[in-house]
Amino acid sequence: MEIALIGNPNTGKTSLFNNLTGSYEYVGNWSGVTVEKKVGVFKRTNGYLIDLPGVYTLNPLSKDEGVVTSFFLHEPVDRLLNILDASQLERNLHLTLQLLEFEKPVLIGLNMMDVANKRGIQLNVSQLAEILGVPVVPVVARNGKGCDKLEEVIATQPIQPKKKNLVHYGKEVEAAITALSKEIEGKTEHSHRFLAIQYFEGNEYVRNYLHQIADSVTLRAIVTNLESELQRRYDCKSLTNFIHLKRKETIEKIAAEVAVKTNAVTPLSEKIDRIVTNKFLGIPIFLLLMYLMFMLTFDWVGTPLSDALDAFFTGPLSDWVEKLLTAIHASGFIHALITEGLIAGVGGVLVFVPQIFILFFFISLLEDSGYMARVALVMDRIMESVGLNGKAFIPMIIGFGCNVPGIMAARTIETPKERLLTILLTPLMSCSARLPIYALFVGAFFAGHRALIVLSLYVLGIVVALILAKIFSSTILKSETSLFVIELPPYRLPQFQSLWRSTWDKGKGFIRKAGTFIFAGSVFIWLLSYVGPGGLNVDMDHSFLAAIGGVLAPILAPIGFGTWQAAASLITGFLAKEAIISTMNIIYFVPNDANLQGLLADYYTPLAAYSFMVFILLYIPCLATTATIYKETGSKKWTVFSIGYALVIAYVLSLLIYQGGKLFGLV
Amino acid sequence: MVSSLKAGEKGKIVDISHVSHLVQRRLLDLGITEGSEVCVKCVMPFGGPIMIESCGQCIGIRRKEAVQMEVVKV
Ligand SMILES: Nc1nc2c(ncn2[C@@H]2O[C@H](COP(=O)(O)OP(=O)(O)OP(=O)(O)O)[C@@H](O)[C@H]2O)c(=O)[nH]1
Ligand SMILES: [Mg+2]
Repeated sequence: MEIALIGNPNTGKTSLFNNLTGSYEYVGNWSGVTVEKKVGVFKRTNGYLIDLPGVYTLNPLSKDEGVVTSFFLHEPVDRLLNILDASQLERNLHLTLQLLEFEKPVLIGLNMMDVANKRGIQLNVSQLAEILGVPVVPVVARNGKGCDKLEEVIATQPIQPKKKNLVHYGKEVEAAITALSKEIEGKTEHSHRFLAIQYFEGNEYVRNYLHQIADSVTLRAIVTNLESELQRRYDCKSLTNFIHLKRKETIEKIAAEVAVKTNAVTPLSEKIDRIVTNKFLGIPIFLLLMYLMFMLTFDWVGTPLSDALDAFFTGPLSDWVEKLLTAIHASGFIHALITEGLIAGVGGVLVFVPQIFILFFFISLLEDSGYMARVALVMDRIMESVGLNGKAFIPMIIGFGCNVPGIMAARTIETPKERLLTILLTPLMSCSARLPIYALFVGAFFAGHRALIVLSLYVLGIVVALILAKIFSSTILKSETSLFVIELPPYRLPQFQSLWRSTWDKGKGFIRKAGTFIFAGSVFIWLLSYVGPGGLNVDMDHSFLAAIGGVLAPILAPIGFGTWQAAASLITGFLAKEAIISTMNIIYFVPNDANLQGLLADYYTPLAAYSFMVFILLYIPCLATTATIYKETGSKKWTVFSIGYALVIAYVLSLLIYQGGKLFGLV
Repeated sequence: MVSSLKAGEKGKIVDISHVSHLVQRRLLDLGITEGSEVCVKCVMPFGGPIMIESCGQCIGIRRKEAVQMEVVKV
């Protein structure tokens, strides 16, 4: 049994999905969190539950909405579970009416009952079920209330909805529906009425589908006739509008019967909004929040924790392992591999787990509170001036965690050019894998101003992205259309449990990567540093790793770090940014109390260190990001471009910083 | 024009046919068409977007689109 979740954006579909399947998919308080289809298995009943992006109608504008429509037309599904936001019943019912026209068994989950009640909206659930002719179950997806009941209803046999056309579109449209139905008779298993109405509304996916199975000229003629007739009789502006109004009439009738509104208090949301989206305070507040986040991550909480972990790894842990290895008489090779390769390489990355978790916690807080959409609103003016729109800022903030979901999030941007631009620029956002490198270097060189220096890097990433957006959008990616309409969800007080879960879910990836990718990489890098043309256990300067790094080193000399060590770590950074840290730990390994931070001072000047950090911030999207760019753009050309421009801009900026800094007498 | 309303003022939309087609579609999705009542919540500086409320939900739109929406004060 396959059941698809479908509903307006931000109505709690994914929350319910997580609840029913026990999985943890991405939840956030803004529209367009889920951008692709996800499949899960029911915890109790058997069968599959499919989570889909949110849509307002089945007539898509953006890529994530297209996912839903094409799922509808091309994939068989037994049953639809339509999630409605009870506090926004009217708007949500537009989609429901379309789903009912589809004539597949529908089941309604009336979510956010708590919010509706708080706003003084009382709903008569059984009457709603009666009117719509399908089962309706009230739930609160957030805390699981009503989910048992919902599962019970799901487990029962789906009943075909009582075929009654809820919306009567007027005799002209109804006649056209009949005419069109005749044309496609016997050519499709989908509901004719559904296809006809969607076709009239200008649904592109349905149009392509129908033009494949029936004569496009005849179909078009039906629409043109209908349009001119409606124009003449009712002076209506467009067919889409006409159909929308007819649905609205029906919905108003339904709402009048089932909903009772008592007087409600002013939502807290509005009070908060008066401050955070204040005319003048909006942007300063955002920057202040960012600054707080960095202080906590790099100064107040994160660094002490990471230092403690580091002391544990280099101290007691190394000693125990050392003793263990001696006790079991491990060979010198194994001994070196484990202490100099694995503990240095993997441990060197793991010590940053506390800082990364704090950062993720903040990102989750942004996502869950409802502030995300406000940031998009506050930033729109700036983004517009560089040829993007405020919505592009959401992928960028998500990119601070990891670039991959950031790039995926660009799917919600409606115009293709702006979406492409966002995909290309999101890798410039400093992801969490780059954070260990900053933590290491600011600790070694800028101990007094950790948070400030790191903030400067994050801001630099954004500024470079904005400047490049301006350049690209006025040269290679010119576009006339821009669209910015954003829904601002009410603030929701994040629950600690869901915050922790989403933090853990993001952080898990980092730990997992350390255990697999970085683990294997560390072994490999260590081997390269252990063997050389001269044989095994060579001096590291004569190893293969030194030889490889040495090729690139001269090119890097003008930007301040022309050592084979720097070059070698940068190469591994393409695989994963954390690999830079593990490579450095392996290369600069000194037994006992190894303090990489202290050692670094011998190899970098503070100016070179800053230049190095800037280079790492910008130089290349990692392998996973590159793969995602390719998947999302579907173009080799743009993928190569995204790597190429990043390399150029990183080199140029580092050169400016290093050489410019030297001119001004900085070292 | 919606943009002529000050923060806190309410209006009823009478004509949005001059707004670009895509934006019209999106507004329609959100339930905002001719006849809807809107209330301006706040206005971003430097010609930035406007936050409006309609039927209990808040929506951000750009100033240049707001300019093309004809409203009557209520
Ligand atoms: N108060 C309350 N909040 C809820 C409820 N269900 C979900 N939420 C919150 O609503 C927000 C949106 O939830 P999601 O599950 O991401 O919504 P979605 O429908 O998957 O959203 P998209 O993927 O963007 O379409 C989150 O902040 C949830 O915590 C509920 O029943 N009551
Ligand atoms: Mg979702």
